[in-house]
Amino acid sequence: MTPLLGAVKITTEYYLAVGALMFTIGAVGLLIRRNTLIMFMCVELMLNAVNLTFVAFAKRLNDAHGQAIVFFTLVVAAAEVAVGLAIIVAIFRRRQGVTADDVDLLKG
Amino acid sequence: MLGAQLLVAENAFFYVIAAVMAYGAIRVVTTNNIVHAALYLVVVLAGGAAQYLLLGQEFVAWVQVIVYIGAVIVLFLFGIMLTRAPMKAEEKLTNDLRGAALIPTGLLAAILATLCLDAFSDKTVDLVSPIRTKAVTSAIFRGYLVPFEVVGVLLLGALIGAVVLARRD
Amino acid sequence: MLALFTQPIDAARMIAVPKIDWLAIGPPVVLFTAALAIVLLASLLRGRSLQHDLDDWVVLCAFAGPIEFWLGRFSAIRYNHDVFSIIVMLAGIGSVAFAMGVSIVRKHTFAASLVIALAGVISAVAITVAQWNVVRTSGSFTSMAGAVAVDGMAVFVMGVVLVATVFGLLLGTSWIRREQLEGPEFLALLLLCATGMLVMASANDLIVVFVALEVFSIALYVMTAFDRHRIESQEAGLKYFLLGAFSSAIFLYGVALTYGATGSTNLVTIRESLTGLVGGDNGLLMVGFALMLVGLGFKVAAAPFHMWTPDVYQGAPTPVTAFMAGATKVAAFGALLRIFVGSFDLLQTDWRPAVYGLAIVSMIVGSVAAIVQTDVKRMLAYSSIAHAGYVLIGVQVATESNGGLGGTSAALFYLGIYMLMAVGAFAVIQVVGRARETDSSLDDYKGLARKEPVLAGLLTLFLLAQAGVPLTAGFVAKLTVFKAAVDAGQFQIALIGMLSATVAAFVYLRIVLSMYSGDEHGSATPVEGNRLTVDLPVRITISLTAALVLLFGVVPGWLLDVAEHATSILAG
Repeated sequence: MTPLLGAVKITTEYYLAVGALMFTIGAVGLLIRRNTLIMFMCVELMLNAVNLTFVAFAKRLNDAHGQAIVFFTLVVAAAEVAVGLAIIVAIFRRRQGVTADDVDLLKG
Repeated sequence: MLGAQLLVAENAFFYVIAAVMAYGAIRVVTTNNIVHAALYLVVVLAGGAAQYLLLGQEFVAWVQVIVYIGAVIVLFLFGIMLTRAPMKAEEKLTNDLRGAALIPTGLLAAILATLCLDAFSDKTVDLVSPIRTKAVTSAIFRGYLVPFEVVGVLLLGALIGAVVLARRD
Repeated sequence: MLALFTQPIDAARMIAVPKIDWLAIGPPVVLFTAALAIVLLASLLRGRSLQHDLDDWVVLCAFAGPIEFWLGRFSAIRYNHDVFSIIVMLAGIGSVAFAMGVSIVRKHTFAASLVIALAGVISAVAITVAQWNVVRTSGSFTSMAGAVAVDGMAVFVMGVVLVATVFGLLLGTSWIRREQLEGPEFLALLLLCATGMLVMASANDLIVVFVALEVFSIALYVMTAFDRHRIESQEAGLKYFLLGAFSSAIFLYGVALTYGATGSTNLVTIRESLTGLVGGDNGLLMVGFALMLVGLGFKVAAAPFHMWTPDVYQGAPTPVTAFMAGATKVAAFGALLRIFVGSFDLLQTDWRPAVYGLAIVSMIVGSVAAIVQTDVKRMLAYSSIAHAGYVLIGVQVATESNGGLGGTSAALFYLGIYMLMAVGAFAVIQVVGRARETDSSLDDYKGLARKEPVLAGLLTLFLLAQAGVPLTAGFVAKLTVFKAAVDAGQFQIALIGMLSATVAAFVYLRIVLSMYSGDEHGSATPVEGNRLTVDLPVRITISLTAALVLLFGVVPGWLLDVAEHATSILAG
């Protein structure tokens, strides 16, 4: 047990890798989902991944600024959620449905 | 001896939490039920908070629990209710942009590759000396005073915007 | 418990907050105050329950004046006669004036908001001019713990943004009146948006850049979705929101990796730490600034990150489109210049090829895709992508080692001129669009020259300027950008730029031809019906922008001088 788990030391890179993985999952989700609310959750996934990255770096650099940034990200995420949901609700009132088929994100 | 045991415990916790977070994130992206997606998002966010605790950053961890899980998720659930999104599973919740999704996947490969080639890998995470909340406060109000004030502008803008858009008339 | 409050505060335990430098943060503070005043005014005077309270209050104030005055007369026997009676009289007059003011303002809430907004912008311009003088006489400086930089580029970008804000307010006023929407809220959002852009122009810290980016982006999402009468506006808002949030997250990830690689988010500190890193390749930093480039590429609408642009420019209310084209590009390019030219110039061999590629792709995609469009707003959206490409030419030669600072000043000059051309063109489009903005297809412009010769002539001027025809400011702008490229020995990109300008000229000529073509075929177009109404704010906007486009086309010297003096980027 001990040699197996203790053999590899957890370095900052492990946390960064988790962050990168979450960020990518979020980005992929944003591009492949068509429900706006879920797309929106994917943005939250991405921001959360960035937060983890910041905290991991703050730990490695032993610098409190990285943690302070997390608070700004939190506020930004909350503000985005408020505005985004307001837009979604406004559209829903007009069109009774948020599956948003005609909001093609990548249509040039 | 204590150090070695701590190390084992940390490793075990890290892998478990990381696995749970990854599973939750993948379920958010793949599930066909919006409410489930929101709940899986809770799992991911809680996992993030646990990772912060593991890194010795308690204050951020609790803020994450209170603000994200307490407020943001509730907003999402409100959004689901207000738009009367179907609570049951739906067939067509993904679109056919799988080709485009390869771009960020490639990006991930690039990022991970650079991280592995990175030069700092020899330094392990120091569990004994967490960054104190006082230092975080000092960072916000000294170095980051301007962004702190600008965030106030952001909140006012979001407030006006949300009211204007969601007003019924 | 009481001891907690009576205890003297230990000075050593207090946080030394940086000194507030009002000159440095003046312009955004003034705009924010104006926005706040508008919000307070609108919410106080509009609330249904407050309305009655306010009526009572106005009556009370009106009566309080004389009563106070008489009370003052009596009590003046005992108190200092002169001072006290003067104070009471002033209070009485003040409350009567306040009461009258409130009743006037309540009838004209929107006009009062507009006055506040314009006053805010003009004060901000005054502070900006003061900053320019300080920078010219005693050089650039940072303040507020290094988070704010006041230098030539910041002041130039702020000036352009403020001028665009004035035009945005004027166009917005006309549009709000036509569409019967909530005016004060729109003006407040526009001011908050401009506040974010001003902060971004002088941001000397990546976190400040990010937060400012979010401030103006969130305001822009709301303004894009502001038109309740048109579902296209709200869908454009949703699309802009989702892709904007996506790009912000990407930008922030880039900031995180840069922070990890350099240990700071301050641009000056980053630049200093780069001197030690050059030579060895640093993967984190490479990925970090690649992601920041992608994030800012979204905001400036550079291809291949332009997919939101056509839909959003088309769906957004036209005054918002004008503001977006004019101001957002300038602010985002300001941040791009500051981060890449100012802070990362030691790594220019790494980022220059990427910007070079973005410039070429933007010019080609913007010009070619515009040809097949049939909607005028959409055509100009694609042309704005091409214009972003021309500015990017300036950005990628804007490093000290080749061609000096010619690139920076060329990019800034181009941005200033593009703002004028875009605002002017969209102002005409707003008028032609009519109520509910129904008329923006190419067919709707048929026969415009016969019905509205002046409007058609002015739109022709703006389009020719965008095409880069001599004697217009657009020609000088393109010339400076291509000259900067040729000076740096980059003949290929200058050639590609000229070719794409030729292709784009065809697009503009299509619109012009459509306006001057016979109207036999487009028989029942609304243009044939009643005349278009051009109200005063739009009239001011169109004539000012047209005059400036011609002026800078004939005598560009002054603005070129200013742009050349604006190349000081503090970190650089």
